[in-house]
Amino acid sequence: MARKIVSTGRGGAGKSTFVALISKYLNPPTLLIDLDPDLSLADMLGLDFQKEGKRTVCEALYDVIEKRKSNISPSITTHDLMESSLWSDCLYEGKNFDLITLGTKFTEGCLCAPDELLRKTIPKLAKNYTTMLVDSPAGVEHLNRNIVSDINDLFVLCDPSDKSLKHIGRIKEIIKQVGIRYSHFYLVANYECNEEAEKYLLNTGEIYLGKIDYDAHLEQYNLEGKSLLELPEDSAASLSVKRVLAKAGYQIRS
Amino acid sequence: MGKVIVSTGRGGAGKSTFVALASKYLNPKKLLIDLDPDGSLADMLGIDLNEKGKKSISSALYDVIEENKGVGRTGYNLLSDVLQPVLYRGAEFDLITLGTKFTVGCYCAPDAVLKDFIPILVKDYAEVVVDSPAGLEHFNRKVVVDIDDLFIILDPSEKSTKHIERVRDITRELKVSYNHFYLIGNYRFTGETEEHLRSAGEAYLGKIDYDPNVRQYNLEGRSLLKLPEDSPAALCVKRILVKAGYKIMNGDLTLSRARK
Repeated sequence: MARKIVSTGRGGAGKSTFVALISKYLNPPTLLIDLDPDLSLADMLGLDFQKEGKRTVCEALYDVIEKRKSNISPSITTHDLMESSLWSDCLYEGKNFDLITLGTKFTEGCLCAPDELLRKTIPKLAKNYTTMLVDSPAGVEHLNRNIVSDINDLFVLCDPSDKSLKHIGRIKEIIKQVGIRYSHFYLVANYECNEEAEKYLLNTGEIYLGKIDYDAHLEQYNLEGKSLLELPEDSAASLSVKRVLAKAGYQIRS
Repeated sequence: MGKVIVSTGRGGAGKSTFVALASKYLNPKKLLIDLDPDGSLADMLGIDLNEKGKKSISSALYDVIEENKGVGRTGYNLLSDVLQPVLYRGAEFDLITLGTKFTVGCYCAPDAVLKDFIPILVKDYAEVVVDSPAGLEHFNRKVVVDIDDLFIILDPSEKSTKHIERVRDITRELKVSYNHFYLIGNYRFTGETEEHLRSAGEAYLGKIDYDPNVRQYNLEGRSLLKLPEDSPAALCVKRILVKAGYKIMNGDLTLSRARK
């Protein structure tokens, strides 16, 4: 069973950057799951999903529903069709990592359907990997949906604001009430946090792992849409995530 | 009929900061709506809703359901069971917050309540300002379908550029209408990165300058309404509103200073 790692936090705190940066230091095989409909982790990893011939989960569901309208196969349930599409059309298999991405939906209604499909499939997927790394959308709704109910390490990325502290309290309460289990709850500060803000995080009573230092390279890469995997090993952000992972007890691959 | 204003954008771009700052200069009577379950608009405006005896929509719905269980009733009265406990009426603005829910499931139910409320409430106000949660799902839910001014707050990244396209696609596909589509850069834009936005032409209203006060107020959880009048972020918001054709309240003097 894979070690399940979830990165979460308020919008813009650096969840995806953290995921992209740590992905190369984790024990392979690694499966990355991008739960954010407004972002493509694939872009940050230098991957063109379309070119690879892969579909997002939202696209695959749409296809299944459209296909079903014209061609009904009574022996297979819609859910089974969707699940098989998830494995065959949505799972990108690469040399360094595999990736599933939720994608944007362009029809009316919430994202419960694609999220629910992932929720049901994650325990099955987890059996094939050593590490499973989930990048969450901003906010709290993904926790209410209980998509990953059994987390090993939950990393909460924090920006320097009172809202971040409130966010920590809020998600702890949701997690408790919704029944999500986790082994570790870790706080990581983003580059905007100064010493004063770090002090606030140290005083929360949670395990604070340190901050991701400001990195001019990283900002440039994000601006240009370049792959973060190409960030130099000795760049400030790479060094920071290695430090953070080591503090959380990870054996870092180089 | 009031003007419906929506602030949206990627996480952390500055949607709520923009709403909090703009709220001061909009014309009364105004209603602010915090659509973010992880939101803190009330805090940013220095309002303790609990203390004022008001609930969020999520908790009002939860209470209705719990009460119903006790008396064997189903359904609820939208106005007396939900609107009354959630609508905060203040001297400067009214406020409704979606709030966090602590039960399993998505936010479709509380969102649907707002979707029903907005067309009713808009008749009572000159301006209704909606602060969206990060991302796009609120568009999929069509919480607000008839928007006058849609403000997109951006951070300097490739992801932001893609976000603009996504918002355009999703609003078109779902028939969410707007009269104006405005772009605003956040404080992290530099002269160089701002060029990207300028190429958008008229839609680009300018950027919000870095303001150490905003940072400090946000860190301490202080009300942004107490920000000094001449603080850079406040001046930028005024300039942006004027550019979007707003007649702003009590700001002419400081505005001329901002132009310098």
